[in-house]
Amino acid sequence: MHIQELILRLQRFWADRGCLIGQPYDLEKGAGTMNPLTFFGALGSKPWNVAYVEPSRRPADGRYGENPFRVYKHLQFQVILKPSPAKVQDLYIESLEALGIDLSKHDLRFEEDNWESPSLGAWGVGWQVVLDGMEISQFTYFQQVGGLDCRPVSAELTYGIERICMFLGGYDNIFDLIHGNVTTDDGVFPVTYGQMRQREEFELSAYSFEHADIDLHRTLFDAFEKEGWRLLKDQGHFLSAYEQALKMSHTFNVLDARGAVSTTERPGIIKRVRDLASACARAYLEHAEGAAVPAEAAGKGGAK
Amino acid sequence: MSATKTFLLELHCEEIPARFLRPLHFEFSHLFFKFLDKESLLPVGAAVTSNGFVSSPIEDFMSPRKMAWRIPGLPAAQPDQTETQVGPPQRMCVDADGKPTIQGLKFAEKWGVDFSAVRFEQPAGKKEPCAVVTLTKQGRPTVELLAEALPGLIAGLHVPKAMRWGSSEFEFVRPIRNILCLFGEQVVPITVDGVAATATTWGHRLYHRQHPDPVKISSPETYEAAMQDADVVVSVEARAAKIKAQLESLAAEVGGRVVMHDEEDRKLLDTLAEIVEFPKVVRGDFPADFLELPKEVLVVSLREHQKAFCIEKPDGNLLPCFLTAANRTDDPEGFVKAGNEWVLKARLYDARFFFAEDRKHPLSDRLEKLKALTFQRELGSYHEKTGRVVALTKALATRLSKDDAHIDRALEAARMAKCDLRTLMVGEFPELQGVMGGEYLRHEGAHEDVWKAVKEHYRPVGADDAIPGTPMGCLLSLCDKLDTVVGCFAVGLIPSGSKDPLALRRAGQGIVRILWEQGWPLTLADLVEAALKVVAAKATKPEADTREALLAFFKDRVAYQLELAGYAGSVRRSASAAEGLDLVDLKARCEALSAFAEDARFASLAQSAKRIGNILKDESPAEAFDATVLQDATEKALAERLKTIEATRDHGTLLAALADLADPLEAFFNAVMVKCDDPALRAARLSLLHRLRRAFLRVADFSLWQ
Repeated sequence: MHIQELILRLQRFWADRGCLIGQPYDLEKGAGTMNPLTFFGALGSKPWNVAYVEPSRRPADGRYGENPFRVYKHLQFQVILKPSPAKVQDLYIESLEALGIDLSKHDLRFEEDNWESPSLGAWGVGWQVVLDGMEISQFTYFQQVGGLDCRPVSAELTYGIERICMFLGGYDNIFDLIHGNVTTDDGVFPVTYGQMRQREEFELSAYSFEHADIDLHRTLFDAFEKEGWRLLKDQGHFLSAYEQALKMSHTFNVLDARGAVSTTERPGIIKRVRDLASACARAYLEHAEGAAVPAEAAGKGGAK
Repeated sequence: MSATKTFLLELHCEEIPARFLRPLHFEFSHLFFKFLDKESLLPVGAAVTSNGFVSSPIEDFMSPRKMAWRIPGLPAAQPDQTETQVGPPQRMCVDADGKPTIQGLKFAEKWGVDFSAVRFEQPAGKKEPCAVVTLTKQGRPTVELLAEALPGLIAGLHVPKAMRWGSSEFEFVRPIRNILCLFGEQVVPITVDGVAATATTWGHRLYHRQHPDPVKISSPETYEAAMQDADVVVSVEARAAKIKAQLESLAAEVGGRVVMHDEEDRKLLDTLAEIVEFPKVVRGDFPADFLELPKEVLVVSLREHQKAFCIEKPDGNLLPCFLTAANRTDDPEGFVKAGNEWVLKARLYDARFFFAEDRKHPLSDRLEKLKALTFQRELGSYHEKTGRVVALTKALATRLSKDDAHIDRALEAARMAKCDLRTLMVGEFPELQGVMGGEYLRHEGAHEDVWKAVKEHYRPVGADDAIPGTPMGCLLSLCDKLDTVVGCFAVGLIPSGSKDPLALRRAGQGIVRILWEQGWPLTLADLVEAALKVVAAKATKPEADTREALLAFFKDRVAYQLELAGYAGSVRRSASAAEGLDLVDLKARCEALSAFAEDARFASLAQSAKRIGNILKDESPAEAFDATVLQDATEKALAERLKTIEATRDHGTLLAALADLADPLEAFFNAVMVKCDDPALRAARLSLLHRLRRAFLRVADFSLWQ
């Protein structure tokens, strides 16, 4: 199946089941969870169902476009269902069938995998969904976001688009995947993932591992942090402040891939991102619920 | 005996993490039996043990989505219970005419009985007859009591990583989606977080593709059979047995055997049984060129990433195949096999990438990078640790070897030991620490002594694990562990009770094992001194305190080692109390003592040793004594024997001589009174006993023999 067909089917499936179809957020980020549609959407009491594609950058996973399985940037398909429905597992399984996976012939397992994002102050419990031995999705019941308890709890389903496509088509190389066909007056031209992305993988891997200016990124990290707190404190603007937290997070990831972050330094840096993101979450909740968020809303689980 | 019935409870949840299944299951059983005990509902054949646990004919069932308990023989109702209430004295309840007083009437009213039911008896502990009523509490039906108690028991389970779901505040390990609860054929009416119990449950997900309705369980006894029909094997032991049998036969088909050597491999078998409801083992292949990776890398990569076992040939080399268990009854189109093969290839690609990347630079390049890797806050980085381990290796190697080249290699191994912590492979698979360092050094052409020492220096990993296979590996392991233990003690990180987060006891046990098995002429006291010197700059606690704590710590480790070595209690106690830190000597004494352990004379010797201990308790006898003042034949004989004994070096001969002392000592104590009035004679006798005791203590403290 073509990548674009997979995305279209998932969008159709979830739209038919009462989800808004959202769009990727135009800032670098490591996971679909960081999109405000999820980060803020999972907070507060209002019902919220949304599904969208999110390109996710993980600089340390870059392999210069040479590894057939691992890439700097991949696509996540993200679904948030709030509150989590009683039949959420069944719904998820139906969505796989909508992709043409005949589960009567495969081995599907839900194996414990508790997700956490220390830089977002977010964690949940759930599974990695394993199909014939391959992890195809992450399934999480959010317990906290931005250090605040989720009430009600959202279910988050994250599909690894490229992986599922490779698996369904039996591809041994991610770059051989077909994104889709370009049809012109002269005929039909299939376009591969490699044609679209391989050079990008090479350059961005080289940037993350070799060329990124470490001093510049350290300066940027500090500047984004300062800017974020200024926006939040002076203006009470949690959305623009949150963007600064996202930029801090990506800047940190680049520094990390570049080998510029020591193990001792790392928790402190992550905490700086988390502190800003958590403050944005609190400000959002106060705005959305129209009431001050009591201190005890920061639950007993705590950010890990 | 009234009728009994079988109870069955099944909590059907979304997939429960494998690691929580058994603990939660066990905890519920415990809570449930406490409830049954309290309500006088214990089943036939149950017994409460002294520690509050109940042994009973409970049957345990668990699967990824189920925890179930079945208990036969529960009474249908509580037995009626009578209780006696004691009231005021008789004289206050009835007046002189025998009529009830107000107080008497009030007592009857309080317990809801007519005054005519009040008796007058003198209960134990009272000085006069008192008003007494006997009340009969009618036993309630078991099903009612169950219905009242179960929701609280379920909600009260201690879930280590509890979650909420939906809009509810209820917390559990994973969402509860169905409750099956039967007492005999009757449904116990309970509701937990909005889920009401029924007489039905769900089978395997795949089964319900053809059978949309839930499975009816007509009585608790039919549970496993009904579940089996719905493709769920509810006994985890049965699933493990099935998996093991399939693993073995599929490995044999390709002429190999399953790699199941260590604890982690056995845990994988348990995990596989815990994560499938119906096990089907599939064998897959991977490209043979991946066999160029070290065996350990393949085993760990397959196990950790793919929950798969490797297959080895009789010569120990791997075959390019793997085995894993699927959660279904078959693999009709080979999708499960093909899928797992595909994923595994991706994993091995990564492992090969790490292996190639790591070898682009010599391992020694990582030494500098260890500066940024914290070993322990107060003790600094792994770079600093490496420095200490090198210093310690130097101090000990020069005592064990005169060969400079050999010593240089030991130092090289110590320098390289921790470098692999900064490699990609160990970053991905922490359990390959040591192994990778050794493999990379081997590929670089390092001396065999060096790479083998680095490779094995984390061993022994546990009580079942062997010590490193080479003397240099043993020395490196010893020095590394010694630095960890002594360093932590020196900054106040001392294990206490069940708290030993840094696994110092295990490290200490490893040190003792290595010394014990290698028989090096190094005492634990020597080792502690050498290590204290090396960590001195980091120490935050007074050295004397640290030393004292360490010696006590090692005494415990030695005691455990003696137990592992299988010596009798009497041998262990008496030998280690004499002197417990020189393991070579201790081992020799234990061996010698064990040879005499059955000798009846030792019981008498033990008596005498105790007696000597008591006599000498508040005395400070002189070393030398004048044998000529001795009067009795028995004491003269003892003094003669003392000369021979003090001249004997060999433990066996000495023990024979001591055993021969049993009768003369007894005779001595029967014949003389040690603390006599004649000061010269008394002093001589005390000195004689003092020196005898010292002779004993060279082998064992016989006062601890029994």
